[in-house]
Amino acid sequence: MGQLQLWLSALEMGCFFGLLALAYYLVLVGAGFFNFAIGTYAMVGGLCTSYLVLYEDMNVWAAAAVAVLASAALAAVTELAVVRQVQRRSGRGELPALVAVAAVLFAIQQLGGYLFGYTTLPGQNLATFDPVSIGDTVAQPSTVLLLGFTVVAFAAAAAWIRYTRTGRLLRAVGDSTHAAGLLGLPVNRVRLIAFLLSGLLAGITGLLFAPKAGVSSLSGLSWALSGFLAMVVGGTGSVWAPLAGGVLLGLVEVFVPYYFGGQSHVYGLLLVALLFFAFKPSGLFVRRIRA
Amino acid sequence: MKQRVPGSVGLICGVVVAALILLWVGADGYRQTLVTTTATYALVALGMYVPYLMAGSLSMAYGAYAGIGGYAVGLLSTRTGLPLVLAWIAGPVVAAAVAVLLGLATRRLSGFFLAAVTLLFGMAFTALLVDAEGLSGGSGGLGSLRKLNFFGWEPSHYQVVIGSVVVVCGIAFLLDRLRMSPWGVVVRTMRDAPRAVEAAGVRVPVMNLVALAIGAAIAAVGGGLFTYSAGSVTPDTFTLNLVFLAIFMPLIGGSATPWGAVLGAVIAVELTLNFPVIETSGTLILALGVLVILLLAPQGVIGYAARLARLVGGRRG
Repeated sequence: MGQLQLWLSALEMGCFFGLLALAYYLVLVGAGFFNFAIGTYAMVGGLCTSYLVLYEDMNVWAAAAVAVLASAALAAVTELAVVRQVQRRSGRGELPALVAVAAVLFAIQQLGGYLFGYTTLPGQNLATFDPVSIGDTVAQPSTVLLLGFTVVAFAAAAAWIRYTRTGRLLRAVGDSTHAAGLLGLPVNRVRLIAFLLSGLLAGITGLLFAPKAGVSSLSGLSWALSGFLAMVVGGTGSVWAPLAGGVLLGLVEVFVPYYFGGQSHVYGLLLVALLFFAFKPSGLFVRRIRA
Repeated sequence: MKQRVPGSVGLICGVVVAALILLWVGADGYRQTLVTTTATYALVALGMYVPYLMAGSLSMAYGAYAGIGGYAVGLLSTRTGLPLVLAWIAGPVVAAAVAVLLGLATRRLSGFFLAAVTLLFGMAFTALLVDAEGLSGGSGGLGSLRKLNFFGWEPSHYQVVIGSVVVVCGIAFLLDRLRMSPWGVVVRTMRDAPRAVEAAGVRVPVMNLVALAIGAAIAAVGGGLFTYSAGSVTPDTFTLNLVFLAIFMPLIGGSATPWGAVLGAVIAVELTLNFPVIETSGTLILALGVLVILLLAPQGVIGYAARLARLVGGRRG
């Protein structure tokens, strides 16, 4: 395997982490909340598609549509039934929300296992075309789709936040929910939109990434961690920051095991997390506030 | 009115229930396994009680701490000729030391950041157990462990079951006393108003580290117990599932006293392991139940029982 192939693999992992981080970012900007359940939405997106195609003989696009809608629905339920209620009761305390989101994560993980089985299923390709090769580097169709979707998703998110009314509302609500409420902005609707979008995004991301290594009900937790790390490493300074964080993590995930072997990428991730949380907790890109 | 020892009501209730459980178990091997599993879950949940419910910081590295306790038993049994009881001293001490180191590395983190790093630490610990094949036996783990031996007396399996129940009750009682002691009051105040406590001259970071160390040591006792009664330990023995369940157990039972964690452990094991009808979905029911409890009944079972007792008794207890 050539070096270039490794770089491509790192880029693919990076895009995957970056997309998950973007889903985190949308909820964080809109609701000021780290939604760890995002990893499990992605798991549902991938696992539900594979299950419907393999066991129900469904068309792959129809299965994907069902799975992505399911992820978005789960995200909406998370906000409406759990996060909103818990935050209303416990105010600004972080621990109740954290425990609640852990319970949601665990419940979705168990639900996925119960509905779709506890085994790892192979991911399904949305489209089959010949692998694209540049020199001796080969990009599989799934890779091409994931990279393409990354560009589209980030560009759309950036444009949406910058140019649309809802996008600007999102930032207003996230910056100060209280002030936004006083101004009469539709706080609850904006938060729900943020959750729905992040659920959609996570679902699509999960099903696009599933062909790379398969997907099981347990994938959600490690995906949740990777996405969270990517977002923290990238910072919240710009919409593109999660992608930078994701690519950095992707490099760690691919090159550390290449040079040190075994499961060293787990140690690498832990090290990155400790270093960033200790020395640069706000991430690489920070929004500068003009005084 | 005669002055009674604080926490004695909980202890009496706990001991009565424990005695009933032990009578129910009898010589049934499967039920004995259920009880030792419950005791392990309860000890991990009790370990999390001090830092999580008293100090208010959710560390999720408890799979690693229980693993340290388990591997202490495994290593002492297979690699040395020392008395096996020493494992329950070495394991908790090492676990406490690791908890202090991890606590130092994460001392500025809280909430989601702390949860993420400690989860990663748990994963890295599992990976280390697989990688360090020479020491830990790799993914196969350590098996065929020695039996406990106190100067020639080898306790039977049933006696070990009784012993584990006694340990759980003892630790729950001590934690209940600790919760009400001046130290416990300071730690609980620290959760709600860290700046006020710091301003009053208490070193909050040090208190946090002590809380983490106590918790890790208790979880290591549980890990050692499970390893001993299972007869082997592998990197997959103490999974992240266990950690998640341990977070939820105090919520199910009631987070006001440590006994809630024990009650939660009993309910969790009953639902996940001893319910043949819903065997595959027991964990799912548990998870959904936790969400319902979280939203509708944040006081858990013991909280409601206490309210009921107050209603019946007609006065505040």
